[in-house]
Amino acid sequence: MSLKLVIGNKNYSSWSMRPWIGLKAAGIPFDEEVISLYGDGSREQILRHSPSGKVPVLIDGDVHVWESLAILEYAAEKFPDAGLWPSDPAARAHARAISTEMHAGFAALREECGMNLWRPPAKKALGADTRANVARIDEIWTGCRARFGQGGPFLFGRFTAADAMYAPVVGRFITFAIDVSPVASGYMRAMAALAAYQEWRSAALRETWVIPKFEVDYPDVPRLPADAA
Amino acid sequence: MMQLIIGNKNYSSWSFRPWIAMKALGIPFEEVLIPFGRPIGNPEFKQKLAEYTPAGLVPVLIDGDVHVWETLAILEYLAETFPDKRLWPADRKQRAEARALSSEMHAGFSALRGACPMNIRRPVRERALPEAARANVKRIETMWSEARARYGGPFLFGNFCAADAMYAPMAARVFTYGIKVNRDALAYVEAMMALPAWSEWKAAALKEEWIVPEDEADWPTVL
Repeated sequence: MSLKLVIGNKNYSSWSMRPWIGLKAAGIPFDEEVISLYGDGSREQILRHSPSGKVPVLIDGDVHVWESLAILEYAAEKFPDAGLWPSDPAARAHARAISTEMHAGFAALREECGMNLWRPPAKKALGADTRANVARIDEIWTGCRARFGQGGPFLFGRFTAADAMYAPVVGRFITFAIDVSPVASGYMRAMAALAAYQEWRSAALRETWVIPKFEVDYPDVPRLPADAA
Repeated sequence: MMQLIIGNKNYSSWSFRPWIAMKALGIPFEEVLIPFGRPIGNPEFKQKLAEYTPAGLVPVLIDGDVHVWETLAILEYLAETFPDKRLWPADRKQRAEARALSSEMHAGFSALRGACPMNIRRPVRERALPEAARANVKRIETMWSEARARYGGPFLFGNFCAADAMYAPMAARVFTYGIKVNRDALAYVEAMMALPAWSEWKAAALKEEWIVPEDEADWPTVL
């Protein structure tokens, strides 16, 4: 039986994007079910799959895994050849540490700069906590690229689960035209050029569900054209 | 030998997690305690910690030239390094569930964490909880009792595992703040508190004299 990933809106759901892009980029086949968050009946629909009432959820037969990081760990175990984590133990430990830091951290950035892929890139004034988050993320990316980045354009060279965890941050940095170091900027270009990233973004730009509380310019909902490069 | 860098035992719930996992599962380590000092985030604490970790947060595990920060990443590292210690359940499905519960703890329950900071020395006294914190309690209670019912207890997946380490500080909060939970969840708290590792942490916490106002729910009273 094939895997099924239940996710929220591609334009807004950063948590959904993480396992989705992780599985896609690793070439792991799966079916997807998109539930528009906060839509009619969406909560019931989610609870059918996920006891925590949250997306994403990965369904593998009778195994239901929720939480992005737990899904990536599950996929890493089930598909050891997909290389979801770096193969070197020290690099792997580092990858898990920065993934976990993303998983529980950067609240100010997430709050102030929600993922909103269809919003045309434009700067926004950032609070001090958000600027500190940006500086720390830049430091993480730059540190990984310098120490582990040989052999590819991603944090550990080739694409890993750690990149999947930071993919929505790249989306946010682009949308809110956030200034970063040249190394971080190079990393963002590599992410944006990834086929899986483009596939997700392209689907997001075509979505029609608008969630007011995730639109920073509401009631304006500025949108890139569906075929924006 | 591995070193585990932690903060104050009375307050540092994140430090408690890998510490109790290593103790309860018999993984030897040297403990390095860096007191938080005042105010929170003071330069002296940051400077001492910077010798060990770039993230500026405790806990950190040091194994030779490998530095691992973030509780969950430390537990994963231990699980890989000591496969015989069974940090995660042996069954694939249970392991997935244990990781989901652990991740949910890692990133969630901020209302309850804010309303009831871990404070081992505080005498047991009930505290009124905001609605969001009560919703957190309900979710935790459901998780604990369902896992115990499914896998037989006394811990979430039978024997003590990394998921229990993740919830140990929650058990401490339920106890300290007299939070009402169902009988089964209470039995879980009792099982946790009966661990020798628990008593060892608690005894050391009670000996600490450092006060962190931000973590004192009754401030300026310190119970």
